[in-house]
Amino acid sequence: MRGGRDPHARLEVHVRHYETSLVTALHMKFPATQWLVGSELVAAAARAYVHARPPNRPCIAEYGRTFPVFLAQFARGRGLPYLRMFTELELAAGETATAIGLPPLEWSEVAKAGAERLLDCTAGVQPGTRYLRSRWRVDELMKIYLSGSAPERFVVAAAQACIEIRGARGELRIIRLDRATFAFRAALAARRTIEDSVARALRHEPQFDAGAALRDAVQSGLLTSLHLHSGGGEP
Amino acid sequence: MSAVAASSRFDARAVRRAGVGLRLPHLLEVAAAAPPVGWLEIHPENFLANPHAREVLLDIATRCVLSVHTVGVSVGSAEGVDREHLSRVVALVEELDPLFVSGHLAWSTHRGRFLNDLLPVPYDAETLRLVAEHVDEVQDALGRPYLIENPASYVGFDGSTMTEAEFLSELVQRTGCRLLCDVSNVYVSATNMGYDPYEYIAALPAAAIGELHLGGYTREDKPDESSDELLIDAHASPISEPAWALYAYTLRRVGALPTLIEWDAALPSFSRLTEEAATADELAAAVANEGQPLASAR
Repeated sequence: MRGGRDPHARLEVHVRHYETSLVTALHMKFPATQWLVGSELVAAAARAYVHARPPNRPCIAEYGRTFPVFLAQFARGRGLPYLRMFTELELAAGETATAIGLPPLEWSEVAKAGAERLLDCTAGVQPGTRYLRSRWRVDELMKIYLSGSAPERFVVAAAQACIEIRGARGELRIIRLDRATFAFRAALAARRTIEDSVARALRHEPQFDAGAALRDAVQSGLLTSLHLHSGGGEP
Repeated sequence: MSAVAASSRFDARAVRRAGVGLRLPHLLEVAAAAPPVGWLEIHPENFLANPHAREVLLDIATRCVLSVHTVGVSVGSAEGVDREHLSRVVALVEELDPLFVSGHLAWSTHRGRFLNDLLPVPYDAETLRLVAEHVDEVQDALGRPYLIENPASYVGFDGSTMTEAEFLSELVQRTGCRLLCDVSNVYVSATNMGYDPYEYIAALPAAAIGELHLGGYTREDKPDESSDELLIDAHASPISEPAWALYAYTLRRVGALPTLIEWDAALPSFSRLTEEAATADELAAAVANEGQPLASAR
């Protein structure tokens, strides 16, 4: 190689840029996590991550999906058992906020399908929707971050939270659902039939009111389309 | 050589004013009000995974001249162009119908990893063959000419058998591609590698140059007296005086061309970017007026 007195030393420019640019990208992707645990820990984890899990695609905005797991392992022993779920929540929030909203499904279209055919339908769900089941109430912690004002002391409750994250065009909502509704909506989002989605909800709550849950999902603008599962296309 | 015809709804000759890079923090501001610049250049990689930003960009494209400058199409990679990424870029290009589509003479991928940097290639016959093949593939996919940008160099290869300017000239001959002359990169590379930047500009095929870039560089601190001083293509500061001087020389040599100000890091306000573009416009006007006969007194 050639270039100045020590061309091999000049390769450091490229090595540095590789590390710095990717660490910066992770910093920008996880500001709430830095708020929670400090930028030093996140920076150290990010430096390790970019070498252990390098990107495999040029679109760096898509890089870092496995950082929540990596960070939690990196920070093991620091008394942060809720860290992974908080960072997963932040990842989901970032992805949903950059989505665009689609025209919502009208209840009249659901009514047209008829009860029997409806059970065989799958539903399209707003693209800016994610579901997260956490053993810690990290949604409360995230709402504190988003409010911009943190109390002196806050205890993250060790209790299950079923969280729906919905966002579009820069707006974001974090909603805690009951287990049955969470199971129902998460199943719909995973393109399971309405019948299958109801069955999953009933396992959590035998009194689950499927009709009311479906109406709520439609009226909240969550659903965008209905598709007859067996034959495809519109019911 | 790929058979491509120039295809854009825009005429480069009508782009009289300098442009600036459009980065995500400025997107909504630009969407809200017509920017006081000639055109805007985007990195498609910022929009491929951000549907909201893409939606806003498509709206901007109905009112502003846009150019697409990719950082992820690695024409210098021995393993070939990332076809999935290329197809995503092509889809966005088809939606935007930009003034230009450009990329770098560099490689960024190896063994399935994206190295997020623009790494140098040797300038020899084998590399030329490989890069030409990839440029043909990119142009065929785009259906239009691809502009190749000269890199900022920190190292070179002993095995190189031609200069960078010769390599680019030959690449143009083989593929019909055009050139994006990054004037600041010419100055950075010439300083780092020890050659004359003016001779470099003079050696480029002027007719093939479609666009000019200007970006800020930084001087790397010398760790000790035995180290070299390096200029780093950081895009984090205003354009330097030597780069402006080289820009003026370039304009005298190749004529007025669409010029873009690149400032991507330590991002200032959008109005600060437009100030740099205005400086480029003033310099271009001054060069254009050189040698013009004085208006006769009345």
